[in-house]
Amino acid sequence: MKRIINIAGIVVVAGVLITLFIFVRLYNKPHTDVHSSRPIHQVTGKSIVDEFKNNEDKANDTYLDKVVEVEGTVKNIDTANGNGIITLGPDGYMESIICNMEPTENRKMLSLKKGQKIKIKGICTGFLMDVILIRGIIVK
Amino acid sequence: MRLKLILLLFIVCFGSSLSAQEKYLTKQGYISFYSHTSVEDIKAENNQVLSIVDISTGGVAITILMKSFVFEKALMQEHFNENYVESDRFPKASFSGKIMNLEEIISGDNTIARIKGKLTIHGITKPVEIESKMIVEESEVTLQGKFKIYVADYNIKIPRIVRNNIAEEVEVSFNLKHQPYK
Repeated sequence: MKRIINIAGIVVVAGVLITLFIFVRLYNKPHTDVHSSRPIHQVTGKSIVDEFKNNEDKANDTYLDKVVEVEGTVKNIDTANGNGIITLGPDGYMESIICNMEPTENRKMLSLKKGQKIKIKGICTGFLMDVILIRGIIVK
Repeated sequence: MRLKLILLLFIVCFGSSLSAQEKYLTKQGYISFYSHTSVEDIKAENNQVLSIVDISTGGVAITILMKSFVFEKALMQEHFNENYVESDRFPKASFSGKIMNLEEIISGDNTIARIKGKLTIHGITKPVEIESKMIVEESEVTLQGKFKIYVADYNIKIPRIVRNNIAEEVEVSFNLKHQPYK
């Protein structure tokens, strides 16, 4: 009888521990690691801007929250609130792709020049006057 | 002759507005919100706020992407986007309003702007009145302040199980530094 109670006790404690472990794991689930994730879409700056301009709802469905790799020409390099920002622009467009960079990219950003062609990987959050990427990483 | 007249009219009408700087814009404005309860504090930041101020009319227009809010915990961000503000259905929040005491601000008599307008979150629009510190300079127009919103006003449903974790009233802070818009 005692033995059964002991076993039942162990099972309950183990159950609680496992639940707690899963809960903590879930609660502390990491953010998408842009460094290691493969881009779901690879596009040129021009094509992604065109897609958002032509049909924003459709482009939202395609790109929102996805890791996107954009190839484009550096139009501007800036910082705001301590974050690096690279603006990629298709030539002759008012719209551009504003990439908010990860702090790990600060060093690489120093050697960038306007007019240079680069590839940036980041998470697309949508379109205001420009396409916006966050957690940006310089790929090439 | 007629063409020249039209051209002249055009220049008179629009020429003056081109010379003086009226519109100021930022694409890198900062907005954060903060929810405090005894169980946990939740903070999210957005550094990609689009805001335009017209210092001739006092008009203010702000648009933000809900997905641009970054949380400390990925799980919070997921719940926020998927369950609370449903950012796939409502990807943007916006504010459009007017500075009611613009003359006082321009003349330097007052640095606190009263802005009346409409705030749209989660597809629901409510009238709001916000007080904001406002500094107008040739090269920069700054709006900075905070206000509170009731989550329930915007039909954002918080499940009972996490009701103790999320405040009913959320504090929104903003810091928008606008540059002349060419």
